[in-house]
Amino acid sequence: MAGPEPCRLSVGHPSVNPLSSQSDGTGVVPPADPFVSLVLTGRNDDHGADFKARFFRTLRFNHRELSARGILHEFVFVEWAPLSDRARLVDMVFNAIPELDPSVCQWYVVDPRYQQELSLNPRLVYLEFLAKNVGVRRARGRFVLTTNCDVYLGRKVLDAFARGELKSGVVYRAARHDLKLELGEVILDWPQLEDPLNLDGPPRRLKPPFMTGATGDFVLLDRMTFHEIRGFNEIYRVARIGVDGNFIVKALSCGVPVVDIGGPVYHVNHRDSYHLSRDVYVGREAEAPWGNRRWHSAGVIYVNPPTWGLSHAPVRQEGPHRWRVDFSWDAVPPLVDLKRIVLPAARLGGPEPGTYKYVSRS
Amino acid sequence: MIKRALRAVGLVRLVKYTAAVEQQKKAELRARKLAQQVEEVRADSRGWKAKAEEAHDQLKKAQATVAESAKRAERAEKLRVEAEHRLALDGKRKVDLVALETQLEESARELAFAREQLMAIEVKLDILEGAANVLDGRTRTVSAQRRTPEREPTV
Repeated sequence: MAGPEPCRLSVGHPSVNPLSSQSDGTGVVPPADPFVSLVLTGRNDDHGADFKARFFRTLRFNHRELSARGILHEFVFVEWAPLSDRARLVDMVFNAIPELDPSVCQWYVVDPRYQQELSLNPRLVYLEFLAKNVGVRRARGRFVLTTNCDVYLGRKVLDAFARGELKSGVVYRAARHDLKLELGEVILDWPQLEDPLNLDGPPRRLKPPFMTGATGDFVLLDRMTFHEIRGFNEIYRVARIGVDGNFIVKALSCGVPVVDIGGPVYHVNHRDSYHLSRDVYVGREAEAPWGNRRWHSAGVIYVNPPTWGLSHAPVRQEGPHRWRVDFSWDAVPPLVDLKRIVLPAARLGGPEPGTYKYVSRS
Repeated sequence: MIKRALRAVGLVRLVKYTAAVEQQKKAELRARKLAQQVEEVRADSRGWKAKAEEAHDQLKKAQATVAESAKRAERAEKLRVEAEHRLALDGKRKVDLVALETQLEESARELAFAREQLMAIEVKLDILEGAANVLDGRTRTVSAQRRTPEREPTV
């Protein structure tokens, strides 16, 4: 039986014409190449309480700051498996943020059946990284930043974008600074974000050797390398935690270095966040909504199929800058594809992959 | 005649007398010298006796030293033999140690490899378990849907 395709990257390549990505049938017609695509995913489900308000506040801030610096950007929003009895975010966002230019948005609404058919763990109600892959696959920017809906870009991150000195073939990471829960109700701006008194605990640092720690909140990479790595793990759909760190292990295994961009991003704590509620499920890990958090995410990697990011899904344009990703079995990978779980390579000068840690399976 | 008469009364001529006195003095002097020599010889004899005793002690010590040295030599010989034996043993042990180190490295490599494989296997088991649970849930749903009409009473 043939194994999955080996990881071969042409690191250091120049940016390519985003039109070249149209051959994969994603249905995107780009007007221009943004410098950076911010890939976000969410739905109107009150995740973490008052999701909409937190999302809109963050989106407004990030759009304002990116625009103020003249950074060509787009928001690629993946509204994954929206609830049928709730209004869609795409129908609210432009009223909530009138200054948000629709032309800098690409909004994909993904049929809920993908969540149903792809899940390998009924407790994972939202396959976040598959959703992000849908966005990464369709992003047009020279660089692609996968982040979360409640993350404020920090000043140094914005400055790095503005300088345009980011390199291809490098994963950029930013530490996440958590702000106090009570700040979630107020509109934040630089003075509140950068006030150390507002931090909920000591500022986080990126943890070597993989520079992980809230990785899902900031993974920045040039689009072509992101595509060559084939996005986040789509094979291990059993847990949500660790999938972002697993991407870093895969990047390093492919010879892509991981670098601190130089400054933090900010996240306001909210109810039900993993950071605040991880200890609630101690001793009953199997019930946790994020799955087994001790899976060997640093010790194995994956080789997604060429159809990653639901690239074979039929895409229908529903309006300006908004698309519907319809369900098709052609786009659904097999329930089990074990040959695509492989061992990472240790690169000379890079960190060793994670070692085995015994975890009781009971 | 006169000589005989004088001799009979115990008198001698002056010449003879003087010679006898001289001879007596010489004899006394010689006697004193001899006494002195005897004293010296006695002193010498005492010195020699002390020296002889000392020599005897030294001889005893020397004999003890020789005996000790002999014992030490014997012990040294034993140690030499033992050392040679140990050296030979050490040589063998060094060879064994190198073999053990090689074996240990090999075992560590195999253990690391086994652990890597174990990680992959456990991750795959997670996936299989998840898939089995999903399929189980779907089967139960379908099965329940199929059973429901059968339970309805026929008209």
